[in-house]
Amino acid sequence: LTAESVRLSWALAFLRGASPLGWEGAIYLFNMCLPQLFEIKVFKEKNRSWFINESVQSGGLLHFATPMDPLFLLLHYLIKADKESFQGKFQPLDQVVMDDMFPDCILLLKLPELETLLRHVTEEKEIDKKKYYKYSKEKTLKWLEKKVNQTMAALKTNKVNVSARVQSTAFFSGGQVSSDKDEDYVRYAHGLISDYIPKELSDDLSKYLKLPEPPASVQNPPSKKAKLSDEPVKAKEDYTKFNSKDFKTVKKNSKMTAAQKALAKVDKSGMKSIDSFFGAKHVKKK
Amino acid sequence: MENSYEESIDKRRVHLRPDTLRDPAPVSLHLLPCEVPVNRPTPVGRFFTPAIRLGPDGLEASFRGRSLRGEEVVVPPGFVGYVMTEEKAEVLVGKQNDHEREEQELVEPPEALERDFDRFMGATASFSSFTVWGLESIPGPDAKLRGALSWPSLAAAIHAQVPED
Repeated sequence: LTAESVRLSWALAFLRGASPLGWEGAIYLFNMCLPQLFEIKVFKEKNRSWFINESVQSGGLLHFATPMDPLFLLLHYLIKADKESFQGKFQPLDQVVMDDMFPDCILLLKLPELETLLRHVTEEKEIDKKKYYKYSKEKTLKWLEKKVNQTMAALKTNKVNVSARVQSTAFFSGGQVSSDKDEDYVRYAHGLISDYIPKELSDDLSKYLKLPEPPASVQNPPSKKAKLSDEPVKAKEDYTKFNSKDFKTVKKNSKMTAAQKALAKVDKSGMKSIDSFFGAKHVKKK
Repeated sequence: MENSYEESIDKRRVHLRPDTLRDPAPVSLHLLPCEVPVNRPTPVGRFFTPAIRLGPDGLEASFRGRSLRGEEVVVPPGFVGYVMTEEKAEVLVGKQNDHEREEQELVEPPEALERDFDRFMGATASFSSFTVWGLESIPGPDAKLRGALSWPSLAAAIHAQVPED
């Protein structure tokens, strides 16, 4: 170990632990230099292994570190604080972003352009050169609508490359043969975004976007799970129900509480998510 | 106690040694269509690789007497593949955004992020493509893996900043 490697090792840290988004064992990668937040997703398929040079590695996991909009995490704290303690009052950010379960959340406060970011979802006030913030649902919905639109555009672009898959594996909800209807794109984009926001807000967003009630066969829009694997459900609190499965990476082997067991039994038929994007074959409903 | 055990897991950070991302050696990677339940050195170059042939529909090889068909898959544009090794020798395959290669010039860290109970990992190798194998036939366009590989482009859209009004 050289002195330099010790010094450099501070530069990046994987932050793991229960995430504010409700994914137990979600992993974030925080780049201390930029600083920038990344989200790590794990691709896992049954019966896979790697040959890595002259060795074999079971599991066949593939991790993806993709840039993440920190506002999704911040938003969670803002909403929670607004609901639980501050109720419409302006608060300094360091009193909002606090989390026993995920103490590393304070790193979020180091992000550059934090103030610009927060303008999308909060109202701010400056008193004695200190900024105070208040969650604004109206602004947040507007912001989310833009997110949905921009995700929709990417879906359309992507469709060019993936049209075969779109047709065959329920890229869109419910295994219906996809159509070019914008509605399908909006719903799917809404589902993807919903993986990052509390359930309640997701419902509000759905109304805000005037998403029609999904047809009976598609009762649950593609939003429910942030899981890429077949791990059992380990949801923790109510709002996490929609994220009812967790990431594969952090095996916690913890015993499930009765409530968690109950959750594990929640009927997930018809639920679709990012998961289906990762190609799980939901072809049963035609 | 169950609780404190959980907590210690939760609070542990895994630090990635950025210097290891600089120029790890390229690695030869094969994603097999079967679970080999061990992690250990194995003479891939003696038994597997020499048997790979280019057939009419892609690469052909065999493993434990079963016939495999495979093809080369490239890492999504803008990304680099890394094989990560944790200091206690667990191997992960990671992909990091290209950006991360740029910010190696670290100024002073804002604070000591390392704690005693933290863990560390570093890249031991890098890759820009790997070979994915299917049993008897090449994993088709519907393969889960294909979907996963297009996740970065979708993630980019979900997480890109939106313009202010």
